[in-house]
Amino acid sequence: MSSIITLTLPGEIMFARLASQTASSLADLVIGENREESAKRKFCHAFELAVSEAVTNSVTHAEEFDAPQMLTVTFEFEPRQLTVSVRDANPPFSIDKSAPDIESYPVHGFGLKIIREIMDQFTYRRDGDANIITMSKSL
Amino acid sequence: MKTILAFRESEYAWVHEKFPCVHPLLLPLCNKPFIEFLIDFAILAGSSAVRILCDGGLGEVERYCEDGSRWGIDLSYASIHPDDSIHAMLGKNRKFCGEERVMIVSGFSFIRYDKRYDYKSFVSSMPPGEWSTCPGGRITLTGVPTKAVPDWLIADLSLMPLDSMTSYYQASMETLKTGESRYVLPGYGDEPECAFGRNVVISKSVEIRKPVSIGNNVQLLGNAIIGPSAIIGSNVIIDRESSVESSIVFDNTYIGEHLEIIGRIASGNRLNDPKSGASIAMEDPHLLSGIKKNRHLRSLPRKIVHACVALVIIAAFFIPFIILWPLLKLGGHWKSSPASFLAERTDETMPLAKVEVDASGAAAAIAVALSLDRYFRLFRVVTGQLALIGSTPLLAGESRPDAPAYVPAYLPGVFSYAEAEEWAATGGDATIVERFHLAHSNPLTDIGLVIKAFINRFQEKSTI
Amino acid sequence: MNITETSNGAIAIVAIEGRLDALSAPELRNNRSVIDPEKTVVLNLEKLDFMNSTGLGAIVGALNQKLQPDFGIVLSCMNDDVRSVFEITNVQKLFHIFDDTAAAVEFATTRQGAHT
Repeated sequence: MSSIITLTLPGEIMFARLASQTASSLADLVIGENREESAKRKFCHAFELAVSEAVTNSVTHAEEFDAPQMLTVTFEFEPRQLTVSVRDANPPFSIDKSAPDIESYPVHGFGLKIIREIMDQFTYRRDGDANIITMSKSL
Repeated sequence: MKTILAFRESEYAWVHEKFPCVHPLLLPLCNKPFIEFLIDFAILAGSSAVRILCDGGLGEVERYCEDGSRWGIDLSYASIHPDDSIHAMLGKNRKFCGEERVMIVSGFSFIRYDKRYDYKSFVSSMPPGEWSTCPGGRITLTGVPTKAVPDWLIADLSLMPLDSMTSYYQASMETLKTGESRYVLPGYGDEPECAFGRNVVISKSVEIRKPVSIGNNVQLLGNAIIGPSAIIGSNVIIDRESSVESSIVFDNTYIGEHLEIIGRIASGNRLNDPKSGASIAMEDPHLLSGIKKNRHLRSLPRKIVHACVALVIIAAFFIPFIILWPLLKLGGHWKSSPASFLAERTDETMPLAKVEVDASGAAAAIAVALSLDRYFRLFRVVTGQLALIGSTPLLAGESRPDAPAYVPAYLPGVFSYAEAEEWAATGGDATIVERFHLAHSNPLTDIGLVIKAFINRFQEKSTI
Repeated sequence: MNITETSNGAIAIVAIEGRLDALSAPELRNNRSVIDPEKTVVLNLEKLDFMNSTGLGAIVGALNQKLQPDFGIVLSCMNDDVRSVFEITNVQKLFHIFDDTAAAVEFATTRQGAHT
């Protein structure tokens, strides 16, 4: 049995924080009492961080094109995994960029690397005029 | 007492090159990760907390060792710079060290210790300074001793640099020979010098010559000769008539039929000579022909049999599918998204729908149990693009160790051979099972395996 | 996010509390000591609960402005969650990282003394 929670947010930076804090609270709610405290904390942090990266990416991308719009964050709870999708109406973007070279002191470009590292599954697809990022992590 | 284990990437760069599938600190010595030997030693020396320092990434090590609770110690991680001295390391970890005595083990070297000695008393009575060194490695103690050295105390140890495949091979073989008497090693066994992991299947005609160490989920098939001095990792298949002597076989490796592995390190699809350091890909027909891509994979009879069986399944499940699919689709329980998967031919891809059925209702549960989520893929078997049973289709664009570029046998199927086994159908386990069946199955055994996979999926989905 | 600044000799100790993300990163980017190329700063992260890649970018960007990128910004007392962000991105290689702020200040003072 799965449950779905959907947040519809204005594409503004302050709401990226709201989405990530919601992600952390939801992860804490579903992870279960019988897990070790350190494992619980790690899971919640990973989920919070991944949502923070995806939503921040979406919001800053919208600002680049001067087109802040609503974005939708959907959390789906299944018995064995937690999935989150971020949907926005921005122009398409590439996910094939490699992580920046740290010797050049980069200030951008780490978001996708972080998501790929901490989540079990990550997909990006274009659905009509929308970008959809979907990320899952096993419980 | 506390322990710092400090490493620099430059010390173990050779491991990245020779064994890219494993983090150097998790390099197995006699089926036990290197770092565990050091943690064991820190505990023997009386440490309550261990901190691992490195100038490179420690993510994999951290995922494996976690917070140390499985050893009953407090394990933490921190980073250093390549040129940090021991003094600098102590400064960077001042809070961790506190006022206690600290043992610093630095360098990528193996500690030859003996668990029967009382290192705890020894460490607490030693004066500060260097305890033992080797090229590239040292053990240093800080702080004042808390005890006087008892006259009777002997606590011998030495360091051995792990600076090449040769020294790694030596350390592994030495550990295998000295075995349980000196170190805590994994596996069970009624006889000395013979350690077996869980789920080791040994055919009757297999000969085991001590000393050997065998990991988990291992199949040793007819007339194979294992040992003397064989270290076999986990998720390994040693096929018929093959022998492994004075060699190390890494996790997730399939050794084909009629092969002699003597004095070698087999890792994935590479065979390494520890003496010369030479490394050869296993596709080489002179070495391990059994692993070469099986020509039968593409054979016409196999394709015809698969297509015929696929047609039978399409016909048999047509009615449940035509009822359930629209029902689930309308109810939003059937989600389908396009994705690009690797095709049988190297460098080619094919579009396939990824179907997810939310099994929360009765109709969805039936659809999942009947594998109707794979129904559309059956038509690809009829057109010859997919096998009915084969490898799990791999998503294109992902860099992974089991990608066809590295694995000699890949035949994407509607069902996977791993689903026909009771082994966990993920990761290395699945890859090794698929490789084994791709080398051995024929059109007729495929039919049996499809039925098995179908039943396994049915049982699994029915019990969720 | 709260930023508290103290000093120890020529070294500025900037303590960050709360969350360092896209919303709060500009505050760090505008801190006078952090953006001063000549100022050596110890960033005390003991009370930093959460940081994402935008926050990380702000710290890396600040280091890049320093005349001495080797010790212009020294980090101290980060928790495991924050450390994991440095670790995943490999950015920890750019910094000297201490688990004790006093030790970080001593290090920064020594390095600065040796440099001048």
